[in-house]
Amino acid sequence: MSDLYQALGVVFGYEALLLTFLGTLAGIIIGALPGLTVNMGIALLMPLTFTFQGMGGILMLLGVYCGAIYGGSISAILINTPGTPASAATVLDGYPMALKGEAGRALGLSTASSMFGGLFSAVALVVVAPQLAKVATGLSAPDYFALGVFGISIITSVSSSSVIKGLIGGCIGLFIATIGLDPMTAGMRFTFGSYYLMGGISFVPILVGLFAFSQALLGIEENWIERRQPGGARKVTARISRLLPSWADFRRVLPTYLRSSVIGTAIGTIPGTGGDIASFISYTEAKRWSKHPEEFGHGSIEGVSAPEAGANAVAGGAMVPLMTLGIPGDGATAIMMGAFMVQGLSLGPLLFTEHPVEVNTIFIGLFLANLMMGILGFSGIRIFTRVMAVPRQILVPIILVLCAVGSYSVNNTMTDVFVMMIAGIFGYIMLKLDFSMSPIIIGIILGPMAESNLRRALTMSDGDFSIFVRSPVCATFLTIALLTLFLPIVGPRIKAWWRLRGGNTAGDPSAGV
Amino acid sequence: MLKTLGLVFCGMLALGSVSASAQEITYPKKNITVIIPKNPGGGTDTSARLTLEYAKKYLPSGVIFVPENKPAGNGVTGLIEAARARPDGQTLVMTTVELAMFPHQNKSPVTYKDFTGLFAPIADPCSIVVRADSPYKTLQEFVDAAKKQPGELQVANSGTGAIYDLATINMENQLGIKLKHIPYSDGIGPAIASLVGGHVDAVITTPGAAKPQVDAGALRILGVMDSKRFALFPDVPTFNEALGAGTNTEMRAWAAFAAPAKLPEDVRSQLDAAFKAVAADPEFQEAMKKQGIVPGDMVGDDVDAMMKQDHELYGKLIAESQKAQ
Repeated sequence: MSDLYQALGVVFGYEALLLTFLGTLAGIIIGALPGLTVNMGIALLMPLTFTFQGMGGILMLLGVYCGAIYGGSISAILINTPGTPASAATVLDGYPMALKGEAGRALGLSTASSMFGGLFSAVALVVVAPQLAKVATGLSAPDYFALGVFGISIITSVSSSSVIKGLIGGCIGLFIATIGLDPMTAGMRFTFGSYYLMGGISFVPILVGLFAFSQALLGIEENWIERRQPGGARKVTARISRLLPSWADFRRVLPTYLRSSVIGTAIGTIPGTGGDIASFISYTEAKRWSKHPEEFGHGSIEGVSAPEAGANAVAGGAMVPLMTLGIPGDGATAIMMGAFMVQGLSLGPLLFTEHPVEVNTIFIGLFLANLMMGILGFSGIRIFTRVMAVPRQILVPIILVLCAVGSYSVNNTMTDVFVMMIAGIFGYIMLKLDFSMSPIIIGIILGPMAESNLRRALTMSDGDFSIFVRSPVCATFLTIALLTLFLPIVGPRIKAWWRLRGGNTAGDPSAGV
Repeated sequence: MLKTLGLVFCGMLALGSVSASAQEITYPKKNITVIIPKNPGGGTDTSARLTLEYAKKYLPSGVIFVPENKPAGNGVTGLIEAARARPDGQTLVMTTVELAMFPHQNKSPVTYKDFTGLFAPIADPCSIVVRADSPYKTLQEFVDAAKKQPGELQVANSGTGAIYDLATINMENQLGIKLKHIPYSDGIGPAIASLVGGHVDAVITTPGAAKPQVDAGALRILGVMDSKRFALFPDVPTFNEALGAGTNTEMRAWAAFAAPAKLPEDVRSQLDAAFKAVAADPEFQEAMKKQGIVPGDMVGDDVDAMMKQDHELYGKLIAESQKAQ
């Protein structure tokens, strides 16, 4: 117990509180700027932490971590551009809500769900960390493959307008992911002798191009049309009636919060997966279980809540393998590992017995960072939504500049800026053809995971495919994946067939799952 | 009297300034760019930034080191940029062991010949790690088991053609065994998680990467591929000690500061002296150890020699592995 009191003393010290606050604030800003990701934010602030004595620096990094995951949702909702890959799924329903004049409601819900997800995973970390650690080491290559396939199968349910266009988008994403070195044989694929392409096309420039740059091009086009026909201006109002979500809203999304938080914590625990995957899976599961699946894609309050709760729950989950095994759960925690070691904390099974005070400090710090993130978020909503009132002639150039800066900063190379622009023009054409961007993103994120684990599993089994049905985890995920993939295609036909057969119309599309 | 005192005083001052300027870097007129061809936060990046932190006090005032991460194309684009920079000491680069491997795999047009080696803050040996409850208590037992069932033991590495994979090939060649290579291209972390979970039989990695698990008694290191034991684990034998003479493999995952080739002699000697002082700095060594890195002390010609030696070693290994395919 004295460890706990000591830890409380550390976290609620004057300097530690200030550092956590500054870290969270910096994180939200980094997250909200397109192109600057969670990992980059932590890597940028990491050298600073060397100068602080004790746990202050680590608390600051926890703040950055939590703040940046949340910050991405602000630009996702307001300008249709995910600030970080983890918020790519928030765009799907966040921006439609903002267009309906509900930006405040959307931000309120996403802030509440971010905070809920973060706090949930912090509780999970404290209570069941040793059990969760088994998840991290229990999965083998076939299970990872099944998880990847399950993630990819989501494509059909996030492409509401046309399943075929969604599948085309998914294939484009999978193709982009194959460029570069073959992960298993180290052979070259589609590199055309270019050393840049050898490392694969960077993900962040593509993300920024597809979402932000294409959106800016659309803005330019709309502006041009408006100028030619005065009076046709589309005005989006963003009146804010309240900051906190209403009780009715909260009651409706609470199951979504819980489900997404569980998904996010579990995904965070698995090494090599992170917020981007968790948010998409949370989104699909929210749609699958929702009583109003038809609202998804048109401004569903569950749709805006699910990805945020899932992405923020990754934070606590990713700390599990880091602290209990010394193996980072995602890219951000991999960088944080260095900061822990500077403080003399040898991460791994011995951490809990050798450094109980520090462990408790991290636990409490994670709670505090999530609370501060919520407080900063709610108090900032009014300021954030002003973005909606900025005239397009001013907003679009700012977005274009941010796109270029963000893409350049990934690798410090102009090539990425050109990649971003090409992706942006491509995205603009896709938008005009009524394609959605999410399937492409899902393909890029999950393609490498599915591919390398498929081949790794087959290497392990000497080419024997039965390895995929021997593991119960793998078989279950593959079955769910098949259902997820084909239900949106076959489901309506079965329903129509039932109706023809004589009227059993009670069939709910989600009842079969 | 006063004159002599003054002379002595002047002499002391001069001596003092001489001893201070022994590691002083005086050539730069503007900031020195240091290209780090890896992602921020990784081992290469951390050791580079730590070294610069302790080297910056030898710079003239108003001049600083500016680290730039350029990880595009697996870092090759950063290496090319550094190799083509003017050799005036204004551009340095953190090369890694990949510089000795990539040219043989058609992945890099630049080789060690395009660089002047300066200082290698890390040179960790490869090691073979198994679960603590595995039947292989010693390296000899592992090798015997591998001989009995060729191609059955699953050994994880960090990607085909990467250093730990080549170390596995080297093991096979030297010991006449056959192992099943399981590449984990997303890094050594997932490979270690997989070993802890019992999905593979062994992992080839640096001892530092497995330290938390080894300390906790979950994993065991069977041997290190070096001519001397590893400072963090003095009880772990080298391959030579465990298997007898003739298996004297040296496989080191190093990262070294370098400048473009044809560096002027005075610039080189200034940088060498400064890095030598950093390597001997106890505070620097302490900071590196805190990161789980055994601080290296190779400076100047030693670095060049290591780069050349590894270039030839990997050239041979890669040629053999490609013949086998």
